[in-house]
Amino acid sequence: MMDLMDARHTPVIAHGQEGADDQAMDQALMLRVRDLAKDFTLHNQGGTVIPVVAGVSLDLARGEAVILTGVSGAGKSTVLRMLYGNYRPTRGTVEVRHGGRLIDLVSARPRTVLALRRSTLGWVSQFLRVIPRVPTIEIVKDPLLARGVDDDEATQRASAMLRRLNLPERLWRLAPATFSGGEQQRVNIARSFVDPAPILLLDEPTASLDGDNRRIVVDLINEARHDGAAIVGIFHDEETRERVATRHFDLSQYRAAP
Amino acid sequence: MSAAAQPSLADDAAPVLSVEGLTKLYGDRIGCRDISFSLWPGEVLGIVGESGSGKSTLLRCLAGLARPSAGRIAITLEGESFDLFALDEPTRRRLMRTAWGIVHQSPRDGLRMGISAGGNVGERLIDAGSRHYGDIRAAAEDWLGRVEIDSSRIDDRPGQFSGGMQQRLQIARVLVSGPRIVFMDEPTGGLDVSVQARLLDLLRVLVRDLGIAAVIVTHDLAVARLLTDRLIVMKDGHVVEEGLTDQVLDDPHHAYTQLLTSAVLT
Amino acid sequence: MTAPAQQHYNYAYLDEQSKRMIRRAILKAVAIPGYQVPFASREMPLARGWGTGGMQVTAALIGPSDTLKVIDQGADDTTNAVSIRRFFSRVAHVATTEKTRAASVIQTRHRIPETPLSAGQIIVYQVPMPEPLRKLEASERETRKMHGYGEYGLMHVKLYEDIARYGHVATSYDYPVAVAERYVTAPSPIPKFDNPKMNMSPALQLFGAGREKRIYAIPPHTRVRSLDFEDHPFTVQRWSTPCALCGTTKTYLDEVVIDDRGGRMFVCSDSEYCEERREAGHAGAMLASAEAMKLVDARQPEDAP
Ligand SMILES: Nc1ncnc2c1ncn2[C@@H]1O[C@H](COP(=O)(O)OP(=O)(O)OP(=O)(O)O)[C@@H](O)[C@H]1O
Ligand SMILES: Nc1ncnc2c1ncn2[C@@H]1O[C@H](COP(=O)(O)OP(=O)(O)OP(=O)(O)O)[C@@H](O)[C@H]1O
Ligand SMILES: [Mg+2]
Ligand SMILES: [Mg+2]
Repeated sequence: MMDLMDARHTPVIAHGQEGADDQAMDQALMLRVRDLAKDFTLHNQGGTVIPVVAGVSLDLARGEAVILTGVSGAGKSTVLRMLYGNYRPTRGTVEVRHGGRLIDLVSARPRTVLALRRSTLGWVSQFLRVIPRVPTIEIVKDPLLARGVDDDEATQRASAMLRRLNLPERLWRLAPATFSGGEQQRVNIARSFVDPAPILLLDEPTASLDGDNRRIVVDLINEARHDGAAIVGIFHDEETRERVATRHFDLSQYRAAP
Repeated sequence: MSAAAQPSLADDAAPVLSVEGLTKLYGDRIGCRDISFSLWPGEVLGIVGESGSGKSTLLRCLAGLARPSAGRIAITLEGESFDLFALDEPTRRRLMRTAWGIVHQSPRDGLRMGISAGGNVGERLIDAGSRHYGDIRAAAEDWLGRVEIDSSRIDDRPGQFSGGMQQRLQIARVLVSGPRIVFMDEPTGGLDVSVQARLLDLLRVLVRDLGIAAVIVTHDLAVARLLTDRLIVMKDGHVVEEGLTDQVLDDPHHAYTQLLTSAVLT
Repeated sequence: MTAPAQQHYNYAYLDEQSKRMIRRAILKAVAIPGYQVPFASREMPLARGWGTGGMQVTAALIGPSDTLKVIDQGADDTTNAVSIRRFFSRVAHVATTEKTRAASVIQTRHRIPETPLSAGQIIVYQVPMPEPLRKLEASERETRKMHGYGEYGLMHVKLYEDIARYGHVATSYDYPVAVAERYVTAPSPIPKFDNPKMNMSPALQLFGAGREKRIYAIPPHTRVRSLDFEDHPFTVQRWSTPCALCGTTKTYLDEVVIDDRGGRMFVCSDSEYCEERREAGHAGAMLASAEAMKLVDARQPEDAP
């Protein structure tokens, strides 16, 4: 069985997904989505049903970056959240590679979903959601510590990441609650890329960053991909999209019938 | 990059707490009804729901403080499994003072007000068999420090502490004996927001570092989001929805949960 | 046994049925060392709380062939000791003594005699508060469970509190003991100095609490351990001077004011023991002046029996 962490070091050349059904033959397959659909039922608004997407199928291999496209409201965030196990699909499967197996997030027990999030799935949005009062450096170290890296090394790597994202060192010991939107966002990015997960789900992580910082984030994403990460992303900015994408996936085609 | 071993999904590990068909009646009034779930080491389960929905009733049964009318509560400690209410009373009482801990909503219910802070923390160690004053004192000092109570306050009575300090003292008293399961009923209730935040952070770190399983009753969805991995939503004594905390809060399916989440900004 | 017709009361004051009931309680207490046995406490011609528990135990046990000694705070000649002694000599026709060695039954309040007790002797303690946990836990239901399940952590919390506050365990009377490593028991308000005498004593020790309606016992040769911490072991009181009258350094001393100019001395609290030593020729630093001031009887000539 291939070691998952090792796999993250191995640069992989993206290749077609034909024949990927046979997982034994394609160790590079990281994510397999089949016939995914999502409706929202609003019980407190007369039971209104909002169909968002239907019939979404997608394969994602190591070293690939698929960009979800479609107009506002097309369901990009909704799909991405289902890939993370945050929204519960109305139909379909989301299989995630764990070691030599593909595990379906939709039918997995909550505990298994949590374990997959810890080991395999990384979520990056433009919003930082952390417990108040925890200092910035600790927030960035947290994923390393959770994976068993010792404190010294974690501090070192977290510092390097914050430096690279141009976050002034005087802020490191402070909690980000009082930071500007862009500063908070960079803390979030640092936390996500200090030890990037094998599958990265990015929902507009660069949304309110200036040009310089956006370019740094794009570099981080591409480095992670070269190191073997599989990426699904949403970017509004055309230039960023083009620099990150290896493939586009247009959700407009998968609109559920109302 | 980190050289961690292949992460285990731990699907095969035994739950520390396993509840089946738990029902508690007060006469013909329903406290809680037909509750089933499991809790694994290191997991934090939140229980939310409106007032009177049976949260405290459920917690009191789980904690061994109230005997259920029906159902089973199985506990696994050090590889040994047993039915909580099939245990004889002294064994159950001993476990309640050592292997699990209860943080009450009101610190007065969880602390001895006539005994110093150090004595309150030390009692659980003494219960666990410690008979060395110096060790007990050192552990009490250490734990007061961990819950950010200045060690110079060790000989003060809890009555001389603020509400937030009393709550932290209660937590230290419970955690000092290294319990495997902790039950908390509105642990941050009645505290102002900044004190709450500190307490939450403290609990999060302690639960993570000590690998404790916890069940937390709260009416505060923000607290639930920050502290819990999984959520149970209760109404009229039974569970209407459950799942990962973020699933339940971000994509609620039940009408009641949708109402609950729309009423509060999380 | 039939009492003489002219008496208005039964032998040893209590009616036979009450004595049988108390004896049953005593038997149960002996069978479960340190366990508090409830009993139906009777009225005695003394206000409750003045030793009626001890008197009922003594009344249930005593027979005409017994020799009774009664002490109060170590002394045989205090009002309370004298009246109890007189009471039993009248209602039970027993011989009385001040000599520890000569007594078959010793009723006591607040002391254990310094002269070691011997096999066959019974010591009866008057107990105001039999429940050692009461000050820590108000609920009777709960203290009963704590005893039942051996949950005694709270006793050590009390010791912890003392050490934290005073640097040492401040409890010096009624210092709690574990009897036969099972029941934690109140030794009645004797000074902790006397606690070691309870351990492995060849005498039978009985405890009566009249107001609280409890009897408990420590059978002969039972281990009695004073509660403590490993790093704060149990210790007894020590004095820097010997007894001013008999010169011993081995007893519990009382401070006695000897004049109105603040003069004081430390003397044996057990007056009989002190006297016995003086009779045997031992003398403390202030014996002569105490005799001159008529604070103690002058020594008798050597030939006195
Ligand atoms: N939790 C929810 N409950 C109800 N409806 C939801 C929920 N989340 C999303 N929707 C609905 O699903 C549809 C798709 O929303 P989604 O956020 O996925 O769009 P998007 O493609 O990410 O748009 P944008 O580019 O504006 O971010 C919208 O109609 C939205 O209102
Ligand atoms: N000791 C009791 N005797 C009778 N009924 C009780 C008792 N305790 C609780 N109940 C009832 O059981 C139901 C559930 O009460 P419980 O205290 O568990 O609610 P809760 O969810 O904790 O509410 P809150 O959020 O207000 O604390 C209520 O109807 C309550 O009145
Ligand atoms: Mg979106
Ligand atoms: Mg409640």
